[in-house]
Formats: sequence, structure tokens, C-alpha cells
Amino acid sequence: MSTAVASAVAAEETDEPPRGVPAIRYFLSKLGGAAISMVMVILLGFFAFKLLPGDPVALMAKERPMSAAQMDQLRAQLGLNKPMIVQFWDYLGNVFTLNFGDSYVYKQSVASLIGEYFWNTILLTGTSAVIAIALGLWLGQRAAWKHGSWFDRITTGTALVFWSVPTFWLALLLLMIFGGSLHWFPTGGMMSPNPPPDALGKVLDVASHMVLPVITMVAVVYAQYLMVMRASLIEEMGEDYLTTARAKGLREDKVRTGHAVPNALLPTVTLVFMHIGGLIAGAVTIETVFSWPGLGKLTYEAISGPDLPLLQGTFVVFSAIIIVTNLLADLVYRLLDPRVRAA
Amino acid sequence: MPDLVFDDVSISYHTSGRNSRGEVAAVKHVSLELPSGGTLGVAGESGSGKSTLAMSVLRLLPRNATLTGSVRIGDTDVSELSFGRLRAVRWAEASIVFQGAMHSLNPVHTVGRQILEALELHITDRWRTEKARKERVKELMEVVDLPPEKADAYPHELSGGQKQRIMIAMALACEPDIIVADEPTTALDVIVQKQILDMISSLVRDRGISLMMISHDLSVLATACSRIAVMKDGELVETGEAHQICLDPRQPYTRQLASAFPVIGDPASRMNPISRRERPPRPPVEQRHAMTDEVLLEAHGLNVTYHSGRRSVHAVRDVDFTVHSGEILALVGQSGSGKSTLARTVLGLQAADAGSTIQFRGKDLPHKGRQLRAFRGQVQMVLQDPSAALNPKLSVYESVAEGLRVQHFDGNEEDRVAASLQEAELIPPAEYIGAIPQELSGGQRQRVVIAGALAIHPEVLVADEPVASLDASVRGEILALLLSLRERLGLSALVITHDLGLAWNIADTVAVMYQGRIVEHGPTEEVLLNPQHEYTRTLLAAAPSIRDKAVA
Repeated sequence: MSTAVASAVAAEETDEPPRGVPAIRYFLSKLGGAAISMVMVILLGFFAFKLLPGDPVALMAKERPMSAAQMDQLRAQLGLNKPMIVQFWDYLGNVFTLNFGDSYVYKQSVASLIGEYFWNTILLTGTSAVIAIALGLWLGQRAAWKHGSWFDRITTGTALVFWSVPTFWLALLLLMIFGGSLHWFPTGGMMSPNPPPDALGKVLDVASHMVLPVITMVAVVYAQYLMVMRASLIEEMGEDYLTTARAKGLREDKVRTGHAVPNALLPTVTLVFMHIGGLIAGAVTIETVFSWPGLGKLTYEAISGPDLPLLQGTFVVFSAIIIVTNLLADLVYRLLDPRVRAA
Repeated sequence: MPDLVFDDVSISYHTSGRNSRGEVAAVKHVSLELPSGGTLGVAGESGSGKSTLAMSVLRLLPRNATLTGSVRIGDTDVSELSFGRLRAVRWAEASIVFQGAMHSLNPVHTVGRQILEALELHITDRWRTEKARKERVKELMEVVDLPPEKADAYPHELSGGQKQRIMIAMALACEPDIIVADEPTTALDVIVQKQILDMISSLVRDRGISLMMISHDLSVLATACSRIAVMKDGELVETGEAHQICLDPRQPYTRQLASAFPVIGDPASRMNPISRRERPPRPPVEQRHAMTDEVLLEAHGLNVTYHSGRRSVHAVRDVDFTVHSGEILALVGQSGSGKSTLARTVLGLQAADAGSTIQFRGKDLPHKGRQLRAFRGQVQMVLQDPSAALNPKLSVYESVAEGLRVQHFDGNEEDRVAASLQEAELIPPAEYIGAIPQELSGGQRQRVVIAGALAIHPEVLVADEPVASLDASVRGEILALLLSLRERLGLSALVITHDLGLAWNIADTVAVMYQGRIVEHGPTEEVLLNPQHEYTRTLLAAAPSIRDKAVA
């Protein structure tokens, strides 16, 4: 009986469950990480642009002749003649009040420009991202489950072809065929010059303008999601817990959707969110080709200006979007994987 | 209740691709019968086809497998069922207890939900409603002695023993007639292993369930099964009553399997591990190196505390021990007892708390720089899993020579590597030098690890569970090698293990570790045959033995 006591003690020791990190601490630590990234972006947003070659005032002067006095006056107006540290201090203050100054080209405050174009970009890239992620993940898990089959080869092959195609080339091709020749869809902009008066008509009008840019964007990025999902599901397919599920009498499709996919989603989620950065880079090309009034097009114009305050603004906003999505990825991951809650 | 019958079952795998070996026969013409309410053990080493046979009961073989003959549950031929019928048979008529300590539970679902899923698939009058099913889960948790709230835990929140209990609860869920247990206690501690085996045996007995248990360890089968079948290379070697198989085996192979795990107290296996290989003759007794009085490694008042955040774990508490020249000391304990931490600390891989002393040849353990490197030349480590310990990209030569290069060895490297391989009984060395780990068997890999340690000519080997991940027959070979290194070269060893049989096989002295303390320390015979501490007695009582059956 003394033996029984000792063995009970021993069993209790191995029973000690690992302790979890409280949700609030996890959230705060991830938030802290995101804040540090944001600070780095803000610093870079100032110094990188100061290091750029070319005097913005001289560039502006190229377009319309200016006297030296006028140029000095412009410098003073833009705050460019102040010492670096003062300029930096002003910049910091401006960032926190979301005031990036006035665009050199648009002669309008950068904040209002970005505010105007921000939601257009979110509409375009958001729609494309949702479609591309859903399509990629769905095809990816189907392809993985039957890897080596014709379905697998055709879907992955097609996806890789689209992935390899240059974005602007595909965009122009679609524009020429469906916009220029067939006249199925408008060739550019976000709304017709004379939009229908009713709300439904307006929505349909915007939707028809979105078709081509969304198709282009989805086509060039969905392969990434497909490949990630396919690889991580193939990884899971040999796992013992799937045998357990089958032994219980589960149908094969339930084994896939109920057991294998939730596990395969874990590595996928991180990568999906990381790829959103790539999506935003793609937005610059696509918005420019389709004249979509978004931040991408704005960035393109700011670079060709060069319109430094505007560039600074879009740079900070784009970076912020990526940092926020990565933060979301961490939070979603914690919801999906019970082990992270304990880690 | 139905019988389970294997009638002339052959199973082969069709392989294709680059490393194709064509058709590989995993099971060859096996006929076995498990009568209703009976218990049948299937023993064999890895590659014997025993798990393939177990999977065939519910037709869980991979798609590239073909089965001939028939597997019948009562009158139903499992291999001929439609998939729909088969799914109804799975779990409701026969269920499987997988090796739950490993990866058989889905990490993203709570264990309760995984049990519930089985109930939802096989609804009967007893659990027609959601509420009744929840009740059933609660009831099952009680059957396996777990608090009901553990149903809400995720697998990673449970210990190995608890996970195994969940696997058992899950297998019992739909009240099957037959339970197949596939290595149900492998990777568990002796004490937990005993609890699980006792639980399976009593559940099977009380409910009249038929049990088919698969294991590589005859002594485990002997405690739970009345009949045992021995398999080798897909063929049935011998079938018989458990006590006959264990105590009076007819076939030489069965005898080897039975003797792989020694009976503590049996003089024939003392300082004599059973090896199936032809071994070089042992040196005559008077020329054998043995334990001397010269102290090599000693520790006094050794404490190790891990700090993580505000929590700290006192892993090793006030430990004193010595390793003499030529001594083999077995450090025995359960997982979590602090034995691996102690080994790491002795090697200088983990810092000890202030006030602890560790000395090698009377000098304090160096902490950095050249002295530490010189110390590492004297004390070498052998890890548990040779497949993980060897870099898969390096050839045997590179793996063995690496240590020499770290130690700036200035002799002839090639000769030293060849000599080390020879000492580790990889003969002839030329055959192994160019191989990569993947091309070697488990036992050969462990020899390479040992050769790598020997190359530096150390005085002490620290081996952490050197045979725990190896097959039974290989286990004997590696232990024989360790013993022969002592006899031929006078090498001392500190062997960390949970296996008391290992200590009986090769150790001069045994230290029993419990909750970070050494609770008993002395010559092997004294500690194992006349244990003083209660914990040592618990460990000894928990170790399954093939003799149990004879007594019962």
C-alpha cells in the first residue's frame, strides 16, 4: 500500500500541465512588437527620404522657371532650410497629427489626399485578397489531398504560369481584349463620367470597373496561397491523428476538412498575411495601369514627381497597413492554434 | 460476441519512385485467431509486420497496400466490405488504442470533442441526444480515472499517461467487442506504463472485450495477454500460451526476444547483456579493466534551478556522487526526475547553482575557453536518438572526425577515425566511412555516435538513454559494446536510464533519482535486490517482467 502512495505521487508529477500565457499579455507583447516596427518605419520615413538624391525645389523649378529668390522662398515655405534636427522634430509632430504637409504636385494636403484614396485601395486590394486567398486555399487543399493526380498537376501548373506572368503585361492584355476590343468592361477609372443616380446603379458601376483589375490581381497572387496550403497539407497527410480519425469511421472528406485542414491552416495563416505586403506592391502596378484612383496610383505619381511629402505619406500608410495585417496574423494564429495559447 | 480471425493473411506494399523496391511483403501467410473475450499479444521488432497486421483489422492500410486472405470479425470479412459498411464497423465493432503519447490525437481539437466525434458517428439508443453524448464522455473520463473537466483540455495540455488514458476512453466510447492496442505503453515511464497496462487488463476483463495487443516488449504482453504470437520479417514464428512463450520458448528467435530484457536478479544476465551478433571474445577475467578506487568525476551539493520568468524549477537538489575510473554508474529515474539535467550539468552544458562543486580529477569544472575544451576531450556524450544526433548530411567519417578537429588533434586523422570505428565494432571501418546516416540501421547509427565520442579518447562517457530508441535485439548489442569498452579500454561511463534492466545488465553502481534528489546509491546488487527506499521499490515493482505470468 505504501507502493500505491508513491506511484500516485509520481503520476501527479508527470500530470503537471503546461501553463498558458494570459491572452492580455500575449496581445500586449504582440502590440509592443508592432509598435516598435512602426517607430522604425517612421524613422526610416524621414531619413531615407532625406538621403534621396535631388533637391526637391530644384526639381520643381525645372517645370516652371524660378529665380533664386523664389526658390529660397519656396524652401522656407516647405521648411527645407531649417536644420535637420528641427525638420525631424517637425516631422515627428506631423506624423502624430497625421499631417504630412502639402503635396508639391497636387497642392493639397497629403492627409486629405490619402484619406480620399485610401478606401479605394482597400476596396480593390481587399476584394482581390479575399478572392485570391479563398481560391488559393481551396484549390491548394484539393490539390494536396490528391497530389500527383491530374487535378493537382493542372491546378498547380496553371497557378504557377499566372504567378510567373508580369503583372503589367497581364493587365494590359486583359485591358486590350475585354476593354478595348470586346467592350465588356470599362478600361479605367473607378466610376463612369456620368454615374447612374440610384445607389444600386452606382454599386454596379463601380463593380464593373473593378472586374479587370481584380482578375489581374487575383491571377498573379493566388498561386502563393495555393502552394503554401498544398505544401502544408501534404505535410499533415502522414500524421497519426488522421489514422485515428479514419479508424473512428469518419468519411474521407470529413477527415480532410475536420482534421487535416485545420492543422494545415496553421503555417498557412502566417504566410498568407505575410504575402499581403506583396499584394500591396502589386497594387501600385495595377492601379496605375487601370487608372484606379488609389494609393498605388498616388505612389506612382509621387515617385515620378518626385513629390516627397506625398511619397512620405504613402510610405508610412503602406507600412502601417502591413504592420497591422501582421499583427492580425499573430492574433488569428492564437485563435487557431491552442498550443500558442500555452507557449 | 464475434471472434477476430486472420485467415492466411498476406499484405504487401507496392512502392514506386526513385528508391523503389517493387512489391514489399510486410505480412506473409499469417493465420491467427482471437476468440471472443480472449487476449492475444503480437510481439516483434520494428519491420516484423505486427503494426501492419493491426491496421488490417479495420482496413486502415495505405492505398498502396494489397491484402490477400481474409480478416474476419465474426462472419464479416473486413476486406470485402463496402466503404459505407466498413465505416459502420470501424470503432463500433472494433477500435484501436493508438500510441497516444505521440501524435495520435489531433492537436487543434479538445480531447472531449475527439471522443464526442466517435459517438456522433456511431449513434445508438444510449446516446441519441447531444446531452446523452456529453454524459457518455463524462462517464468515459471516469472509467479511465481522469477528472471530467480534462475533456476540455487540448492534447498538449496533458501528460503522456493522460493522453494514453484519453486514447483508451476513446476506444471504449462505442462499446466495441474488440480492442486492438498498438504499442499502448511505448514511450511511457515504467510507473505510468504499469498503470496503463493494469487499466487495459481490468477493463478488458470486466467488460468481456477481446484484446489484441501489439508490442516489441514480451514482458509487456506477458502482463496483459493469455496468448502470444511472435512475428519476424512478416512471418509468424511461434504462437502459444503466454507463459510458455516467455519461459519455455520453442524457437531460437523467441528466446532472443525473451532474453532481450533481463530479469533483475537473474545471475545469467548480470554483467552480460544478450547480443545476437557474433562478438569479439571478452578478454580473460584477470585482464579485464574493472572499477577502481581512483575518483574521476565527483559532485558535491549540486543544485540546478531553471528560471523562466517568475517561475523557477529546482531540477536537481543537493546531489552528491562520484564516478571512479573504470566504473559504470547507472543513474535511474522517471522522466522529470532531473537525471538528464544532472548529465548536462556534469558536462558543463548547463550551469549549476552557486555553491555546487563539480570536480574532474580533483579540479573544478572549467566554464570557458581552452580548459573547457580540454575537459570536453576527457568527457564525451552519447545521446538517446542516434538518428537525431547525427547530421544527416555528413558522412560517417565527417561525423567521427568532427570532434577531433574541434580538439585540434594533430595525429593522423584517418587512422584515428578508422580505429574508433573499429572500437565501436563497425568492422571493417572502410565499409562505413563513406556512408551517410540514412544508409545505416539504428544500431549502426548508435555505434557511429559512440565512435565519434571514442575518437577523442575520453575517460568518461556520459550516455543519456543510449538504447531507449533502439529495437530489443540492438539494445543488447549496444549494451555489450559499452561493457566491452570498459573491459578492454577501462572507460568509465555514466549511463542515464529509466530502465532498471539496463543497470542490471552493465552497471557496477546504481543511483536512483527522485524529484531531483538521489534517494539511493550503491552497488547494483545491493540497490536492485535489496532496495531501501520506497521509490526504488515502486520502480522495481512497476517494471513488467516475463516472470509475472509464471507466478500468477
